[in-house]
Amino acid sequence: MIAMQNAYSSRKKRGPGNIMVLLILVIAAGFTLFPIYMAVLNSLKTDGEMLNHILALPTSLTFANYSDAYHKIDFLRSFWNTIMITLIGVTGIILFASMAGYKMSRTPGKLSQFFFAFFVLSSLIPFHSIMITLVKISKELHVQGSTYGLGLIYIGLGVALAIFLYHGFVKSIPRDLDEAAVMDGCGELRLFFVIIFPLLLPITATVAILNALWMWNDFLLPLLMLTDSDYYTLLISTNMLFGEYNNDWSAILASLVLTMLPIIVVYLLLQKYILSGIAEGAIKG
Amino acid sequence: MNLSRKNKQSIILLAFVLPSLLFYAVFTIAPAFGGVWYSLTNWNGLNPTYQMVGFSNYIEALGNDPYFIKSIGFTLKYVIVMVVLQNVIALLLAVLVESRRRSKVLFRTIFFMPNMLSLIIGGFMWVFIFTKVLPVIAEKTGWLLLDQSWIGDPSFSFYSIVILSLWGGVGYQMVIYIAALQGVPKSLSEAAAIDGANSVQNFRHVTLPMIYPAVTIGIFLTLSTSFKVFDAVFALTGGGPGRSTQVIAINIVEEAFRFNQRYGYASAKAIILFIIVLLITMVQLWIMKRREVEA
Repeated sequence: MIAMQNAYSSRKKRGPGNIMVLLILVIAAGFTLFPIYMAVLNSLKTDGEMLNHILALPTSLTFANYSDAYHKIDFLRSFWNTIMITLIGVTGIILFASMAGYKMSRTPGKLSQFFFAFFVLSSLIPFHSIMITLVKISKELHVQGSTYGLGLIYIGLGVALAIFLYHGFVKSIPRDLDEAAVMDGCGELRLFFVIIFPLLLPITATVAILNALWMWNDFLLPLLMLTDSDYYTLLISTNMLFGEYNNDWSAILASLVLTMLPIIVVYLLLQKYILSGIAEGAIKG
Repeated sequence: MNLSRKNKQSIILLAFVLPSLLFYAVFTIAPAFGGVWYSLTNWNGLNPTYQMVGFSNYIEALGNDPYFIKSIGFTLKYVIVMVVLQNVIALLLAVLVESRRRSKVLFRTIFFMPNMLSLIIGGFMWVFIFTKVLPVIAEKTGWLLLDQSWIGDPSFSFYSIVILSLWGGVGYQMVIYIAALQGVPKSLSEAAAIDGANSVQNFRHVTLPMIYPAVTIGIFLTLSTSFKVFDAVFALTGGGPGRSTQVIAINIVEEAFRFNQRYGYASAKAIILFIIVLLITMVQLWIMKRREVEA
């Protein structure tokens, strides 16, 4: 019986249907990778070579485009700015949302229900409806136009979803733990930071991934907030380059590759966690 | 004694919620109310003074602003195409990827990769493909269809925006569908296969009903994100040529920040966008949740 099943399944595996499936997947993968492949390929060619042999492999590797792009987008500074914004935003969201989500989930009563509803309702508000006033408020609070300011704004925009995720996750942690700790004379803050917070690690990873991806790739908010080139993020610098040197594809492609490279490396290293984090966030959010 | 215990609990709750509440109130709730307030004024963003003008911004936007109306129409067309294509392709890819044994991780990794990149980056790469690479391929293969003005010709730029959006967005939907497919018990489809169901019947009558909640989420997400599309259009066409690809979000940003500085008027348009998204997603959820119960 088992042998029959094996024979059946291995025959099925080699059947025409399976080759069709593989063919479709390979074509779709080719379509997905094509722009990235073309960008990398042509960023390594000289201008003349790119114009005449756009599809061919480069005859010799030219890295001049990269040093050109590196200076034009002020790579180190833009990279640093992007990291700082993401770091401030993600850290703040994890810290504040885990505290709020945990306590609201643990405290029965109207007040905590009210807070929860208040946070969750905002997931309905689209960014476009608040951006105009957000610019004005940020100006008045002097958080407009700087990396740390942008990080703080991201905390305000991102805590609600994170609270929702933490709130749901805390239910899976037994209350006995809290009670035992309190019995032993543990204070509220120590209970949270020493005992509860480490147990939240799986959902903290999800929150960190979702928010880091969002902040790293967000374009409209930095575009509206950043006016001083000292504070440009990678995306804003690249956008400026694209606007200024519309036809200088060598530098543009090199800057695109420079900007993509860190994310793709991180993705390939952590893809298991990232994909499960995305699925988790999408289904619960 | 009892009351003071409850009070103490409330104070601790407040202490834990306060940091979140503060940031959230300043950067989300206050701007949301501010948006509604300014939508009723003629504020231009610079002048400290402004007048209340009632609903005249709304009346102008919906009654006397051909570009805004056009942008709503263009966005609707985009939303419909995206909701259908994005979900159909994502579900198809999810099923095909899940049917592979050894290569599933590889394909999953590839299909999600564009999602790690901003659509601004993806958009600039696609501008290169559309303007520089496709003409060369068309010349070499004789496929003249490829040699179009994908960005400069209004009838083609719609498709270029759809292609970029699918390229960047399908992987996300696929991950949701894969998670749902993994939740379908193997025994169900095995039982159906023994009863003589072929793989298409198996998918329609066993798998699809089981993953129906994921379809609801998938359509909800594509609906709400497609209505707000900005990056893809900004990177490819910037709304042009001649405002032919102007989606609602681009129209609002231009109204407020780029040309006109009519903050009050732009706020009214943003509120209209909010109401459209809210109404349509609520109707979608209501219809699909009802079917979920039946299925």
